[in-house]
Amino acid sequence: MTDWTIATLGREIAARQVSPVEVTRECLERVARLDGKIRSFITVDAEGALATARELEAELSAGLSRGPFHGIPLAYKDLCHVRGLPTSCGTVTREYFTSEHECTAVCRLRDGGAVTLGKLNMTELALGPFGDNAHHGDVQNPWRPGHVAGGSSSGSAAAVAAGFVLGTLGSDTGGSIRLPAACCGVVGLKPTYGRVSRAGVMPLSWSLDHIGPLARTVADAALVLGMIAGHDPHDATSSRRGVPYYERLLDTPVDGLRVGLPENYFFDGLDGVMDAAVRAAARVLEGLGAEVVTTRVPDPRPVVDVSNVIARAESSAIHARIVRERPHELQPAVRARLEVGFHISAHDYLQALRLRARYARDFVAQVFAGLDALLAPVIPEPAPPLEAVKAGTVEEIVSRMGRFSRLTRPFNGLGLPALSVPCGFSGDGRPLAVQIVGRPFDEATVLRLGHAYERATDWGARRPALA
Amino acid sequence: MLSFRPHTRMNEPPRQLRVDVADLAAAIERLAGDLSLAEEPSGFSVVLENDPDVREQRD
Repeated sequence: MTDWTIATLGREIAARQVSPVEVTRECLERVARLDGKIRSFITVDAEGALATARELEAELSAGLSRGPFHGIPLAYKDLCHVRGLPTSCGTVTREYFTSEHECTAVCRLRDGGAVTLGKLNMTELALGPFGDNAHHGDVQNPWRPGHVAGGSSSGSAAAVAAGFVLGTLGSDTGGSIRLPAACCGVVGLKPTYGRVSRAGVMPLSWSLDHIGPLARTVADAALVLGMIAGHDPHDATSSRRGVPYYERLLDTPVDGLRVGLPENYFFDGLDGVMDAAVRAAARVLEGLGAEVVTTRVPDPRPVVDVSNVIARAESSAIHARIVRERPHELQPAVRARLEVGFHISAHDYLQALRLRARYARDFVAQVFAGLDALLAPVIPEPAPPLEAVKAGTVEEIVSRMGRFSRLTRPFNGLGLPALSVPCGFSGDGRPLAVQIVGRPFDEATVLRLGHAYERATDWGARRPALA
Repeated sequence: MLSFRPHTRMNEPPRQLRVDVADLAAAIERLAGDLSLAEEPSGFSVVLENDPDVREQRD
């Protein structure tokens, strides 16, 4: 099971070499055997998954195939509304979020033949980068138990790394797809703002929320993106731009692409091993023919300040009710972050939204006039121990959260596509990762660079040894 | 009428919360000084949707 990718398994299923029921059963058995320690799932829908797999198998027997996702086991962060399953959003409340519409991204994958194994653990209300959760258990890093899986899509990354499913969906408001992908040694893509519908997904911050895939390979992430991208009448912010066949563009050579390595902000105070790994990744791309240049980018700190104002104001508006009526149910750091939003003035919120537009315009014009992509680290250090990130006062924990997500947050404020790809391991076996950032709606170039890098190295092919 | 009053004791937020809010407000005050009247929030979507493919210009 751990050797399959969506692309390879899809081909085998289509050729009737592997049965959807057999694959689904194998995944469920693996979850039952190993997830008690990892805690990546909140809800496992074994009965529903097997029923769907049997239907899909019958379709194949009748000569019908829905395409590359026919019979592929997937699972979704527990903030996606899926009919028939509860959506806790990582809170203690079993059905915290309901929606008139099912999650559009999930519907598109399911219509394409994907089998839903269940709903995945996450940081409470998606507010935190470490993946700890007092209600559903801290998600353990499959590579190194006792260390963070990253958050907030902690279960989404851990389930892929552990080989429970072949792909998952996560959400990313400040790094919540890329941070856990980096910590768990899998691929995670935050698409451009508007590229993927957020309909049917619990909002955290309307202006900063993105939905995207986590998978074992860049090619698999491209396949998932191709399924979930595109306009959705249920999400007014979703773009009407056409969706390329991303997977068909992956093998276009990267020679001639200009890739920038920022000399300011992104490498400041970075862990030495991480620094070396990201610079080594740049050299690999150079070896493949890309032109890597050192560049100075517009200071991302104002974008982070502005994003913090927007995120705090919007999240407190969205989740006011639980803070007002059941504050005792929330983890202290989550409550503290939400409470700040109640005291942000309308004036500051609106100024922040106006400033964001300016920074996005300036950043895109200055950086992408001469470059096709930026290369940067994702996390400042390899996954830290869970006990260390949970220690101290609420203020210390919140401050630690901000430091851990400082390399991903700018691209939520700017709305740019950003991909996290494994790029090595620390001496004690914790994954390292590189972030590839592109111009608006140019996921194709970002994925192309990631795919070329991945094929030139073997980091993504390694699997954690699970007991 | 305010619909939310999380702090019952004289409705005064805790010190750390006041500090956090003040820091964010100060950042906005510092950054927004030269916003022009024409700059509005929807400019963000315009930037993303209308980004010209500058690779073609460079070629």
